This record gives sequence, C-alpha cells and structure tokens, in this order.
Amino acid sequence: MHALVRLEEVHRSYLMGSATVEALRGVSLRVDRGEYLAVIGPSGSGKSTLMHIAGCLDRPTSGRCWLDGTPVENLPDDELSRLRNGRIGFVFQSFFLIPQLSVQENVEVPLVYAGVERGERAGRARAVLERVGLGRRLEHRPNELSGGECQRVAIARALVTGPELVLADEPTGNLDRRTGDEITGLLEGLHAEGVSVVVVTHDPAKARRADRIVQMEDGLIERELRGSERARLGDALEAAAR
Amino acid sequence: MRQGALQHLESARVGLRSIQAHKLRSALTMLGVVFGVAAVVSMLAIAGGARREAVEQIRLLGTNNIRVTHLALSGKAYAAAEQKGSRGLTTGDADLVAASLGHLGRIAPVRFVEAPVLLRGREAAGRVVATSADYDEVTDFRAAQGRFLSELDVADAKRVAVLGASVARDLFGFQSPLGRRIRIGGDEYTVVGLMESKRVREGRATVIRVRDINRDIYVPIRTASARFPLPRDAGAIDELAIRVADADQVSTVAPIATRLIRERHHGVDDFEVVVPAELLAQAQSTQRVFNVVMGSIAAISLLVGGIGIMNVMLTTVTERTREIGIRRAVGAPRGAILAQFLIETVLISAAGGLVGIALGFAMARGINLFAGWETALSPLATAGAFGVSALVGIVFGLYPARRAAQMDPIGALRFE
Repeated sequence: MHALVRLEEVHRSYLMGSATVEALRGVSLRVDRGEYLAVIGPSGSGKSTLMHIAGCLDRPTSGRCWLDGTPVENLPDDELSRLRNGRIGFVFQSFFLIPQLSVQENVEVPLVYAGVERGERAGRARAVLERVGLGRRLEHRPNELSGGECQRVAIARALVTGPELVLADEPTGNLDRRTGDEITGLLEGLHAEGVSVVVVTHDPAKARRADRIVQMEDGLIERELRGSERARLGDALEAAAR
Repeated sequence: MRQGALQHLESARVGLRSIQAHKLRSALTMLGVVFGVAAVVSMLAIAGGARREAVEQIRLLGTNNIRVTHLALSGKAYAAAEQKGSRGLTTGDADLVAASLGHLGRIAPVRFVEAPVLLRGREAAGRVVATSADYDEVTDFRAAQGRFLSELDVADAKRVAVLGASVARDLFGFQSPLGRRIRIGGDEYTVVGLMESKRVREGRATVIRVRDINRDIYVPIRTASARFPLPRDAGAIDELAIRVADADQVSTVAPIATRLIRERHHGVDDFEVVVPAELLAQAQSTQRVFNVVMGSIAAISLLVGGIGIMNVMLTTVTERTREIGIRRAVGAPRGAILAQFLIETVLISAAGGLVGIALGFAMARGINLFAGWETALSPLATAGAFGVSALVGIVFGLYPARRAAQMDPIGALRFE
C-alpha cells in the first residue's frame, strides 16, 4: 500500500532579500495511513516548511512528493487547493481564524470551497464544533473566545471536510499547559479514529506520545525514533534543550 | 459550475459584511462613482428632455411637411429685389408649386392678418390666419367640432371663421361657438368650426419658432384679400404649407420647390424653405455632439471614481492578507479569491451606482423645478448608468483582486 505522504530528497530554498535561505536540504520522509508523527527541532530547522510541503501548501524547490501515491510537486495550483480542501486539515500555532466570521462560519469556510450547500454546511459545522466541545459558542466571534477555544475552532475547521491527514504546526505553542494538554488530547482522539496526525512541537513530553518522532536540524532530518527508542532520545533532547 | 455559483453567493455575503463593517470607508469609496453616475443620469435627463422637446416641436410642424416662408427684405436687398421684379411670396408661387407637385402632395397658402378679434366688444388674443380649404389636411390639424373652411367658403370669399381651441375658450368659455358671430376687423364672421386642441410647448430648445396654433382664427384667404387688401400686392402671402404624401420624398420635393420659386422670383432669395424633417436630423446631430461632450465628462468622473475604488481595494487586500492566506490554506482556489474581491468591488461600485441614479433623478427633478427645463429619463439610460457603474467595479476591481489571488499562501499567512 502507498504511504499517505511521501517526500523524497526535498529541497526548499527561499530568497530573503538577496540571500538564499535553504529551509530544507534534502529531506525524505514517509507518513503512513493512521500514523501519529511528531516533528521536533529548534526554530528555523525547517519543521514548518516540511509541514507546508507535506500539506500541499508549498512546493519543493527540488525533490519529489506524493500524496496517497499521486505525485503532487507539479500539480496545478487548483488541484493542490482541492487536495488541501478535501484531504488535509491544518492547525496553526496562532489559530488563524477569520476575525469577521462567527465560530460556525469559520468552520464552514472549507465547506464553501468544497461546494457544500448552506444547510448542510451548517449541520456539519455544528456537528464538529459539538465534538470539540464548542456546541454552545456557534455565534461568537473569535475575539470573544479564549486561546484554547480558538484552537478548538481551528481543529473543528480542519476536521469538517473529513480529511485523512491533519497537520498541526505547534498547536499548543500559544496555550497554557492545561489547555495545551486538552488540545493534544483532541488530536490524539483523531488519531485514534484513524486520521493521520503530524504534530510539530517543541515539547519533548508531547512528542514522546507520538508513534514516531522525527527530529530536524538545519533543514535535515537528524534522526527518527520509533518504539522504545522514543523515550531514550526524548531524554537526550530534553537535555539538549536545557 | 454550481459550486462556483455557491462560492460567489458566499463571496457576495462576505463582501456585504465587509462593506457594512467599514461603513464610512465604503461610503467615501462610493462617492466618486455616486457623483459620476449622478452626473451621467442628470445630463442624460436634460439631453433627453431637450431632444423630446425638439422632436415634439418638429412633429408639430409635420415630418411630411415643407414650409416656405416669406422673408421681409430691407435696404439694399430690397432695392435689388425691386429692380429684379420679385414680388415676394404670392399665391402665384402656391399655384406654381401645386401644379408641379401634382398628386405628390398638397399645398396651402397662409397669410397672417393683423386685425382685432372681438365678441361683443371683448377682444380675444388671437391671430387671424387666412388660408385655403386644404390647410387642415396639409398641416394635419383638424376641426374638432363643426367643419374647417370649405372650397366654397374660399371661392365665394364668405365671412366664416374657424376658431382655435384657446381662442374659443377665451371668447365662449365652455359654450359651443358654432353658429355664433364674432367681429374681425370691421366685419362680422360666422363661426363654423372649432379646431382640435394641440399641445404646444414654448420650450427652451427651440429649433424653430412654433406659434401657438390654438390661438389661430382661420378665415378664407379670398375673404382676407377682399376685406383686408394689401397696399401693394393682392396676392402676397406669408407662408406656403406643403404636405408631401410620402415622407421619403420630402427631401426630393424641397429643392424642386425652392428652384421653382427662385426662378419665379428672378433669383431673389426673399423666401426661406424649412423642412422640419431636416431640422430634426440637424437637431439630432447637434444632440450627438452634446452627448459626446457630456459622455466624456461623465467618463472622466467615473474614471476618477474607479481609481478611488481601486485604491481602497488595494488597501483592503493588504489588510486582509492573513484572511487570504487562511482561505487558501483551507482549499480556496485562486479563482475563488479573485471572485471574492471582485464581487466586493462590484458591490461597492454598483451600490454607488444606485445612489448616483437616485441623486441624478433628484438633480434632474431639481433642474426641472427651478430652471424649468424639460427633463426626460429613459429606463434604458438608467439601466445603462447602472451597468456602467458595475463595469467600473469590474475594471478597477480586477487588479486588486488579481493581486489577492496571486498571493503565495504561506507568505500571506505569515503576513503581519
């Protein structure tokens, strides 16, 4: 069977002013269906770029990418939009809700682009919001919610189209420990239901809960840890972090 | 396709909300288009009114008609005419033109007689018009009660008169004037007919002076010759009214009539040939120039309005960069982002168009009330003005919307 996501020798460089910054310098990775993967590494190590490329939000400068066996690096922009819309959900550190829209409308946004009719949209949005525990906050605006609540809305938005892959870029980075744990719990719940979850995190304790950890350093995958290795290398990381 | 429509409906809702959220800004943005459209609408109303007035006046003269009027000469020109032996416009000219026209048309000579019109000592403001029995047919102006002058009236120089509606009302109120006697000059005349009432507007956009025919009092031309003899020439007339059976032949007949009369006058131009249909065409071409000038002014104000909108939309796009990134991340294709901003721009400009149309109507009404100018607004012109305002939105919204659509999603998300 195909891996859900496969990257092979992916390079990604940006032009920052006159200097070229290499965010990824040859990364190969696969994410299997139903897998729970944590990506750790210091700021600027290329974690977010990796997420964006895996999520069809960005294209590699060179290298190849597949989503469910389909090569995506050369797909037209509209195709990538459709893949993001239907098969991938994003959760960001700073929530990225649209401030003018209510909670329910924010969650409905992906469904608008999926061509779902208004009545059905409302029903589906309410159902996912119920699931993340915000069934009573439908009409609120994002600025009337706490950070944790905002992130729940964002998770509901990521889920509403029923994606196979959820990519979370430091989803708990802006939250206190307790709220962060709740959000992690929600993501793990998704994993339990068979959705592939990739979480970028700074927190080794959270990373250790994943099936597999990918540690990035300077645009490369430094090491991969699975099974019993996770605990050991997690400790080493923690030591490194100090 | 359906999916697109759904997205666009959603875009319209988002756009409306964004407009509501920035009421003042949206209002100021619209202003340029509002004034542009108001200018277009009010100017079209004025132009429309002027055109309608001109057309009405000329219709009154008849598009099948040709009028030959006597020109009073003076000084050297008079002396020259004297020398060449021209006697001015006469019944002889009428007979000549009638003979050459044959069945192509009919002709009626007209002489204006300066004489007071009285009923039991009360004078009516009217004009005595001496003519032939064909006059009603030639001018398509008919008797509503009784009859018009007959061949016999003219041949026998009877003392009968047919009253215009206004004169009849002045003299007789709502009583029937038929069979009553009025005094013209020194003699009594029997009223045999009452003319229909015609709407005559003494307008601003006068292409040709139209007398108020409702104030005419028609008497047989031979009666006038006998009772009000001219000092010099018994056959002199003031006008020749010609009606050509086929409107297409007006432009053929007019030069022939001109040549015939000129020959008879030994080359003296002591007459003028007026073709209402040609005046109409002339008026329309003048109108076209006027329209081009006004159209350019309106186009400039709409251009300025459009640039204002574009400016604000560019700001809006920048402000909403983050939102664009979010929408792209959750799967909005570029086209949807383009449509969203384009629809928003069109909403603003179309709303400006509606307000402008209302303002334009108000201005036209004001001009009508205070300046007394006739204004006329066609639904087509109004719809056109609205269409143009929407078009301004499309044209000037395209660049900002494209800019929004071309944004890189990651860059947009990171935008602070």
